[in-house]
Formats: sequence, structure tokens, C-alpha cells
Amino acid sequence: MIDWVDVGLSVLKIAVILLFMLNVTPIMVWVERRGSALIQDRPGPNRVGPFGLFQSLADALKFLMKEDVVPAQAHKWLYTIAPAFGLIPAMTTIAVVPWGRTFRLPGGRLFEPIIADVGVGILLIFALASLAVYGVTIAGWSSSNKFSLFGGVRASAQMISYELSLTLAAVSALMVAGSLRLTDVVWRQTGYFVLFDTLKWPAWNVFSPAMWISFVIFSVSAFAETNRLPFDFAEAEAELVDGYHTEYSSMKFALFFMAEYMSMATMSAVVVTLYLGGWDIPWYNEPPTALGFVLSALMFVAKVSFLLFVFVWVRWTIPRLKYDLLMRLGWKVFLPLAVVNIVIVAFFIMRGWL
Amino acid sequence: MSQIPTHWFLILSAVLFAIGVCGVLTRKNGITIFMCIELMVNAVNLTFVAYARQFHQMHGLIFVFFIMAIAAAEAAVGLAIFISLFHHRETIDVDEANLMRW
Amino acid sequence: MISFIVFFTFAAIAVIFALVVVLHRNAVVGALSLVACFFALAVMYVLLEAPFLAVLQIIIYAGAIMVLFLFVIMLLNLQHREEPATRPIQQFLGYAGSAFFGIALVYYLAKYAVLQAPSTPFLSDARRVGVTLFQAYVFPFEAVSILLLAAIVGALVLSGRSTAVSS
Repeated sequence: MIDWVDVGLSVLKIAVILLFMLNVTPIMVWVERRGSALIQDRPGPNRVGPFGLFQSLADALKFLMKEDVVPAQAHKWLYTIAPAFGLIPAMTTIAVVPWGRTFRLPGGRLFEPIIADVGVGILLIFALASLAVYGVTIAGWSSSNKFSLFGGVRASAQMISYELSLTLAAVSALMVAGSLRLTDVVWRQTGYFVLFDTLKWPAWNVFSPAMWISFVIFSVSAFAETNRLPFDFAEAEAELVDGYHTEYSSMKFALFFMAEYMSMATMSAVVVTLYLGGWDIPWYNEPPTALGFVLSALMFVAKVSFLLFVFVWVRWTIPRLKYDLLMRLGWKVFLPLAVVNIVIVAFFIMRGWL
Repeated sequence: MSQIPTHWFLILSAVLFAIGVCGVLTRKNGITIFMCIELMVNAVNLTFVAYARQFHQMHGLIFVFFIMAIAAAEAAVGLAIFISLFHHRETIDVDEANLMRW
Repeated sequence: MISFIVFFTFAAIAVIFALVVVLHRNAVVGALSLVACFFALAVMYVLLEAPFLAVLQIIIYAGAIMVLFLFVIMLLNLQHREEPATRPIQQFLGYAGSAFFGIALVYYLAKYAVLQAPSTPFLSDARRVGVTLFQAYVFPFEAVSILLLAAIVGALVLSGRSTAVSS
């Protein structure tokens, strides 16, 4: 009745992904601090272990041992569960992203490296990304602090505005694949564009003339969704003290921190899957064996890591936009561009060029 | 997936609808009454989807799609009405909106 | 078997959070309980073999409409006004009337509307919904888009004086 091998494989996949997601935060903390130091021409943390590698461990110990201060007028329950609203979308949306090539196990069974290959793949990502708005709003409101409320309301208005351009930009990549499943989107990108009848170029969506605009729109909207600079009105240091997580301390603040880095990793994974070819290794036909799977998984991790570094790079390079300019960008520039892009991609598909 | 009898979903929908009716009749906060109306609409959506699955008709799902769109429009306009009521009366208590009482 | 467990768990979650919406004084807690109720209903839609509608429910209801509710509740600063208690006679009549209505409805459904689950699976992925939407229902689709435009304009006009806290 119950296929125990299947259950065991699913548990293994969940364990691998959970391991990856839980380790993203400490690694990204180190990358952020050393990367920002590199960009700002200063040493960065270099005391705790060689090259400051144990800095994340020291930070984790600090968070565990700090006193948990709860403001007296905060709404107890909502104040406590607000970080969960940020963490749950970040950890669960990675379940529909394929992170390697499907290969055949020695028993003849097919191993699909995706936790939940549902038919509505990417819509689940958008659905759970809408949940992240609640984290910010409830955190800002339940702290019973005017500055937190302002930060929370501004940040959630920004997030719901950029959700629209995020969704519409992804639609063009989905139109090309003809399906909502992310596995189909990646398989579609394993082909080649033939240029000038000789050169074979990997058919990643970012290289397609109709879809690089939506790649830009999706990436920038991903920055806005994860509240990273240049869109970090949620935190806005020097403007709102610390924004919506002013009143949070120790473990709850650490949960917000983790939620931010995990949602960065998830958004990078989605960008890689939709536009940068997912697990596809360019110019190499991965065989359906364990070797092909391992190579494709490593390639996926490499692409996601590169995008995470771009997140850090942009944070320390580009200044923050003014709030009304940010809203104008989201509604008046990205939304029409994304809609026009859909029309362009539809035209290309109709003419058979894609 | 297909083993749960459809009338269980109908009963759940009826219970949720009755709870929504209770909220509309009992509460005084206008926004809470509005949320109970949304609860009733969702109970009806569940009925539509249950029957769509029972008779293998796509039309039930399309109807739910339209209901969701219209409920969104209704929520936007209804909340705008509440906001303007609040600006004039400084209260959301629906018992205070009594200018047209005889 | 697992689907029965899932059904009963999420039906209980839906009913409990619906009761919290109706009975709790604080409007923000009520709004968040309604979000939880919508999630439970989305699971019901998945059990009814309509996963596309389930994610649509989360995106539209839980992700957009309830955020709108929360914004209005927070910006109107309603949490500091405790709602005065309803008059006892209205409470009693409300509870009794809706309980009688609910019990009568459930009784008649259990008696006359017993329907066994169909044996063939129901194919309702996004492609089929889209095909039906754009072939049989294209006119209502366009009409709803005009209705949404009217709703946007109406909401903007009615809100009048802006209470936004942004800069």
C-alpha cells in the first residue's frame, strides 16, 4: 500500500534541502561581512578563526545567549509568531524547485531531485511569497512602536506592489515552457539555440531576445520581495532605527535574519530555474546516471551561489531609492514593461521563433 | 484523493456558512462583519468546487474564479466605504451609522 | 486513508479559526484567523482535485484581500478601540438563529444530499481552466476586468482624504 522506498527517498530529499537552507544563513553572514569589507576596502571580520570563518558561529552563540526583551505593550501572541510568517515561505517554496537532473537508480526507479513536483509548480512559490507580507506587517504592528508600524506598512506596500511585476515577468518564461511545472521549464532550457547555422548556444531563457527584459524585471522584483537594498525600507537604517524589527531581540531577531537570507536563497534558486537554465550544464549532455545528477546539482549550487554574491554586491554598491520613486518604478515602469514582454513573447511563440 | 464522499464537503461548507451568518448577526465592528461575509462567500466557493468535482464539470471552477475576482473588487470598494465612514463618524460601529433610521 | 486524516484535520482547523473570527474582540486576530481558515480551505480544494484553484485561493484571498483588510484595520488604528458589547437580546437571537439555521442545513444535507465520490479522476489543471475560460467564458472574463477597473476607481474616489503613513 505505502511505498516505503518512495517515502524514504522523499525524506532524504527533504533532509538535503533542509541542510542546504539552514546552512545558507551562516555562510551568507560570512560572505556578506567579508564581501562588504572587500567592496569597502577594509579587512572585515578576521579575528574569530582563519579569515573570520567562525564569525557566524560566534554570532549564533551571541543570539542564543542574549536576553529576550519583549516590549510591555506588545501583543504577546502576534509578536511571537511574526517571525514565523517570514520563515515559513522561505523554507517551503524551495520544495518545488528542481535542483538536479532526474536519473535512474540501480533498481530501475526514477529519482527526481525535486521534493514536490506538483502540477501548479510556480504558482505555489507566488502563493507563499504573498505570505511573507504578513510577517512584515504583523511584526511592525505588534511591536506597538510607531516607527516599527511605519516601517512595516511601507515595506509591505512595497512587497505587494512588486509581487505583481514578479508574477507577470515569470509568466513569459512559463509561456515558453508551456507548463507551470518548473521541471518542464528547466527541460525546455536544456536545448540549444543555433546561431548562424554553426554555433550552438545554450537555450537559457536569459539569452533569448524576448525574455532578457523579464529577467531584469524578475531579478529586481526579487530584490524588492526579499527587502534587500536598494529596496530595504523594512530595515532602512538611519531612517527608522531598525524598521519593523526594532523591538525584536535575540532569537526572534535571529529568525528574521534567517528568514531574509533564506528567502534570498529561494529567490535566487527561482531566478536560476526560470532564466539561467536551472541545473543545466552548458554544452554538456548530462547522462541520466548518478554522475550526471551530481554534476547538475553542483552546477545548480554554483549558479545559486553566484546570484547570492550578486545580492551582496548590489547591497553595498547601490544607494537606496526614495520611497515614492520606488513605488513609481514598481507600478509605472515594471508593470507595463512586464505586460509588454508577455505580448512580445506571445508574438515570438506564435511565429515559431521560440 | 477521490475517496472522500462529496457530502462531507457540503456539510463543512454549511457549517462555515452558518458560522458566517452568526458573525454577521452578532458583531458590531463593521470590518469584522465584512470578514464574516467573506467567510460565507468562501463556504459557497467550497460548495461549487465540491459539485464541480462530483459531476466532472469545469464550469464550477470557472464560477469560483469569477467569484474570487468579484469578491476582491467588493472588498476594495467596501473597505473604501468603511474608511470614508470612519472619516466622518470616527467610529466603525455599525450601530452608529443610523442617519437613515426613521 | 491519509486523505481522510487530512480532511478531518483541516476541516477542524477551518471551523475553529472561523469561530475565532466570529468570537474574538480584536479585529487583527480575527483577520489572521481568517487567513488560517483560507489556508485550510485551500487544502480542501486540493482534496477536491482542484490544485490550481487552491493556489489561486491563497494568492488572491490570503495574499491580497486579507492584506487589504489588515492594512485598513491597522491604518484606522482600531485596535485601541474596544468594541462595545452587543445588546444581549441581539446576541441571543443571533446565536440561536444561526445555530438553528446551521443545524437544519446540516441535517437536510446529510439526509438528502448524500453523494459518493466519483471514481474517475477530475482533470482540472491550469490548461483546461484556461481553455474553458477563454472559449466559453470570454465575455464574462472581459466584463470582470472592466468591473475591476470600476472597483479601483471607486475605491480611490471613496477613500478621499489619504490616511497613508508613507512619506
